[in-house]
Amino acid sequence: MPADTNEHTISSSRTAKYWRKRSSATVELAARPVGADAEPDPDRAPQRRLGVTFWAAIGWVALVTGAAVAAPLLPIADPDQIGIGPRSSGPNWDQWFGTDTVGRDMFSRTIWGARVSLMVGFFSIVAGFLVGGMMGVASGYRRGWIDLALGFVTYVMLSFPTLVLFLLVILLFGQGLWIVTAALSIVVIPSVSRLARAITIAFAEREFVAAARLLGATNRRVMAREILPNVLIPMSALLLLGLGLTIVAEGGLAFLGLSVADGFSWGKMIQLGAGLRTLQTAPWVAFFPIGAMFLTVLSLNLAGDRLRQYFDVRELGIGGR
Amino acid sequence: MTYLIRRLAFMFAVLVAVTFLAFSATNVIGDPLFNVVGFYASVDCDAVIAGEIKDVIGTVAGTGVGECERVIEAREKYHLDDPLPIRYGHWIGGMIQGDFGESYANQMPVSSILAERLPKSILLMGVSMVVALGVSIPWGVAAAYRANQRFDRASTAGAFGLLSIPGFALAIILFYFFVVRWQIFPSRYMDDNIFSRLHSLVLPAASLGLPLAVVYQRLLRTDLITTLQEDFVIMAKAKGLSDRRIMFRHVLRPSMFGMITVVGLNMSALIGGTIIIESIFSIPGFGRELYVSAIRDDITVVLAGVTVTATAFVAINTAVDLLYSYLDPRVRRAG
Repeated sequence: MPADTNEHTISSSRTAKYWRKRSSATVELAARPVGADAEPDPDRAPQRRLGVTFWAAIGWVALVTGAAVAAPLLPIADPDQIGIGPRSSGPNWDQWFGTDTVGRDMFSRTIWGARVSLMVGFFSIVAGFLVGGMMGVASGYRRGWIDLALGFVTYVMLSFPTLVLFLLVILLFGQGLWIVTAALSIVVIPSVSRLARAITIAFAEREFVAAARLLGATNRRVMAREILPNVLIPMSALLLLGLGLTIVAEGGLAFLGLSVADGFSWGKMIQLGAGLRTLQTAPWVAFFPIGAMFLTVLSLNLAGDRLRQYFDVRELGIGGR
Repeated sequence: MTYLIRRLAFMFAVLVAVTFLAFSATNVIGDPLFNVVGFYASVDCDAVIAGEIKDVIGTVAGTGVGECERVIEAREKYHLDDPLPIRYGHWIGGMIQGDFGESYANQMPVSSILAERLPKSILLMGVSMVVALGVSIPWGVAAAYRANQRFDRASTAGAFGLLSIPGFALAIILFYFFVVRWQIFPSRYMDDNIFSRLHSLVLPAASLGLPLAVVYQRLLRTDLITTLQEDFVIMAKAKGLSDRRIMFRHVLRPSMFGMITVVGLNMSALIGGTIIIESIFSIPGFGRELYVSAIRDDITVVLAGVTVTATAFVAINTAVDLLYSYLDPRVRRAG
């Protein structure tokens, strides 16, 4: 895969071109004979198409999101109504996913449970990326004492045991939707900030930044208009991977009874199904939400990993980490 | 040398910040006095002792003086009348001398709680580490040996699947099959002897270790493939060494560096993971204790937990950083 063929097929984005050029250069390096196997590492061979797996994964995420958003409109049972079917009955034609120990419809509950899971996961990762990205760009571009201070803050955040941090935040402020979201985003911020800093350092040395500065652009303008777009595009791939992480983290919190107090998420449903008794008599109560969470996280991982290869962020991670 | 000093100063500052934040947060959450003396925390005890208020809780005059003396005593003992930074100073001073205070819930010294709970969690983490390394090293070597062949592709797909199962979900799946269905492992922690301990730790360690093993395997595989391109591999092959010997004796060792770094960093993830896993498998370990104490506002125990885990995390990270700077002098200059 020679480097110049890439140029004709890429979208208009200048940065995308830059990323592709870098990654195809590594392919040539990696194509050297590898012991007995002379094939290049597939992780490094960028394909120009995103592929069937990517679109299947995106399709599943879209389906779950659509169902979660439209849950009040769908012709499904009330997720909280007790005794909609017999207690602890397995999957059947009336209740596709069976019923739980008090006879609630598991299919409808799985769809409704997606609402809290996805909402908390989505908003916390977005907030984490915004705050962490800004911190990272500021410390990578300004360096000096700002870098030192922000580096200190991220390190303190990292050193806090994650679950204890959640516990403290939730005991202090309660279990509202936005508080749980904020608590989760705090956990995302340090790693995002470190990555954004590394990418920024690599870009801050480049000609277009120097040119903008020569033209008299203020620091704030250089950061917002020149550097931030270049940082955000490759990091957008990590947004999907991060969303998978926050959905799992919310599940863990809910499993401990620490997530959003009103309403329920997949994690809460798993907790309700995970008692010894329930596992013996009605294992599907735990397994359907586990399955839903697994498929969603798997899809996010597959799609995110494909996108990451597409933009190949890893290259720059070496510079400043 | 200056780098070393700077690193240690940084580490010290981080620890002070973490403990101070935790200390102030827990002091805001629960009124420490209420935890010690209960209802009398809200009574104006100076007035009771001075005899200005006779009737404290609507009973006979003169009651409550004894209780109020206990309140004053507790206030002095825990320095509750001092401002926050001074109280923090007292607390951290005791901490450094090994005095972790005593639990508000059952008046047991925190150090003895730690001594009882911590070994179980450390054993769990150790076994998880063994699982993670024991699975990931052979797996990584096998995958890299024939990179992109059938086994490697299948293992990549399997790794993706395993990576997408949340740790607590994996724990429940294992629990369902091995405890509920087949009854191979006990449903709670057996603390009789080392064999029963290890026996009951198999599933928890698998739930903690397998997701880590996937990460390590991916890292090791990439590094091994890079090392396999080195000329000394061709040389070893030309000498007529067996493939097994080349992989394990010559290629594995220089490829393990990246993985070992991550193993160190992952210790803190393990500490967090133990909280959930210990509650699923009812292991009376440190993570479970930390969680229960936080729920019931037993702040001395929570604080001790935060301090111990944060210190471990910062110490491991600093050690890894210093190791890095020793092996690669460029890090020192980049800061």
